[in-house]
Amino acid sequence: MLRPFERQDAAHVARYHVLPTVQRYLIRPTRYQEDVAGAVDVMSAQRGLQRPGDTLTLALERKLDKAVIGHVSLRWSDATAGQGELLFAIDPAHAGNGFLTEALTAMMNMAFDHFRIHRVFVRCDGRNHHSAKLMQKLGMRLEAHYREHALFQGEWDEELHFAILDREWQASSKVHPLPIRERVA
Amino acid sequence: MGFFPDFPIVTPRLILRPFTRGDVDAVFDYRGRRDVAFYLFDGPLSRDEVATAVQQRVVQIGWNEPEDKIVLGAELRETGTLIGELSLIWRSEEARQAEVGWIFHPEYQGRGYATEAAGAMFDLAFRDASIHRIFARCDARNGSSWRLMERLGMRREAHFREHAIFKGGWDEEFIYAVLRREWRDGV
Ligand SMILES: CC(C)(COP(=O)(O)OP(=O)(O)OC[C@H]1O[C@@H](n2cnc3c(N)ncnc32)[C@H](O)[C@@H]1OP(=O)(O)O)[C@@H](O)C(=O)NCCC(=O)NCCS
Repeated sequence: MLRPFERQDAAHVARYHVLPTVQRYLIRPTRYQEDVAGAVDVMSAQRGLQRPGDTLTLALERKLDKAVIGHVSLRWSDATAGQGELLFAIDPAHAGNGFLTEALTAMMNMAFDHFRIHRVFVRCDGRNHHSAKLMQKLGMRLEAHYREHALFQGEWDEELHFAILDREWQASSKVHPLPIRERVA
Repeated sequence: MGFFPDFPIVTPRLILRPFTRGDVDAVFDYRGRRDVAFYLFDGPLSRDEVATAVQQRVVQIGWNEPEDKIVLGAELRETGTLIGELSLIWRSEEARQAEVGWIFHPEYQGRGYATEAAGAMFDLAFRDASIHRIFARCDARNGSSWRLMERLGMRREAHFREHAIFKGGWDEEFIYAVLRREWRDGV
């Protein structure tokens, strides 16, 4: 389930928010446990897109046990050109189960259908092959691969940009797989 | 720390040097043209606009802080004619990044002058300014510009589609880059 953050989520968020591997994807990196509550406050205030620059952040709550295992954000980066950026993070303990694919698909539908965004893009670390694969699975195109264009926490950064246009998303999401039916003799 | 190189820079056929007030006519000759401005952010400039631009350039000869530009005129050694300009913008101090740009008079295109001049600018940036990475952008349709980037050994790092509006239509953009250790086998 995707829903806005609440203050009480800090305990769950603390499990993954401070991990070094997650830092790269946070709008506001929190290296120390005591900063997590502040980060959750910020995220819980991001509830809509009123003007360019605004961010909408939703918590990924697992249906099974209501645990918060990550978050997805949509940042409205440019109004005239209708650009939106997706950001996300997941607790590595829950990665690889398709939760992010599900959540990002829902965010993408919302970006294009509800917010009428023209192009959605994602930036990710060039060394993070999981993210890159996930973007490709979602039908996004690799548009940029920057090498050593910036420093991140003292090291040369490598960054990938993936993007998809509204018409490409609509075209791809129209192709629904046929429902699997029991064969009747 | 700032960067104030010595000028002029001399290459086999060209002299790269700061602008002077006397350059207005020569600059207007190319910056006033529609074909030259086609892929540039600014449209064709009027003579007054060129005069203002030249006046700004006279002092764009070094870097004090990021976003400062070094803009140089390219002059033919043989005749002293000003045939184009190059800019080197300091984009990041911490990550030692610079962005390069070029504009040449169409009558002097197609002879490798831009390649020669840009090569000297890259030497300046990598060797004298210790820049780590130089990048350049251009419209995906601007073949002369991205072919120049490829001649210089730059790598296409980005191909953005419809990421912005440019002159009333969707923009399609290339970004090319080269690292210091890749330039002329490392400098
Ligand atoms: C971009 C621009 C500077 C490139 O100029 P250019 O003349 O094509 O570049 P050069 O001077 O290096 O000449 C290279 C061409 O001359 C040819 N050439 C001839 N003699 C040469 C030599 N000795 N060395 C290298 N190339 C030579 C090359 O084959 C090349 O031709 P090609 O592009 O058809 O392959 C020029 O087109 C321009 O000013 N455009 C308008 C402004 C603009 O758009 N600027 C860029 C904004 S991003």
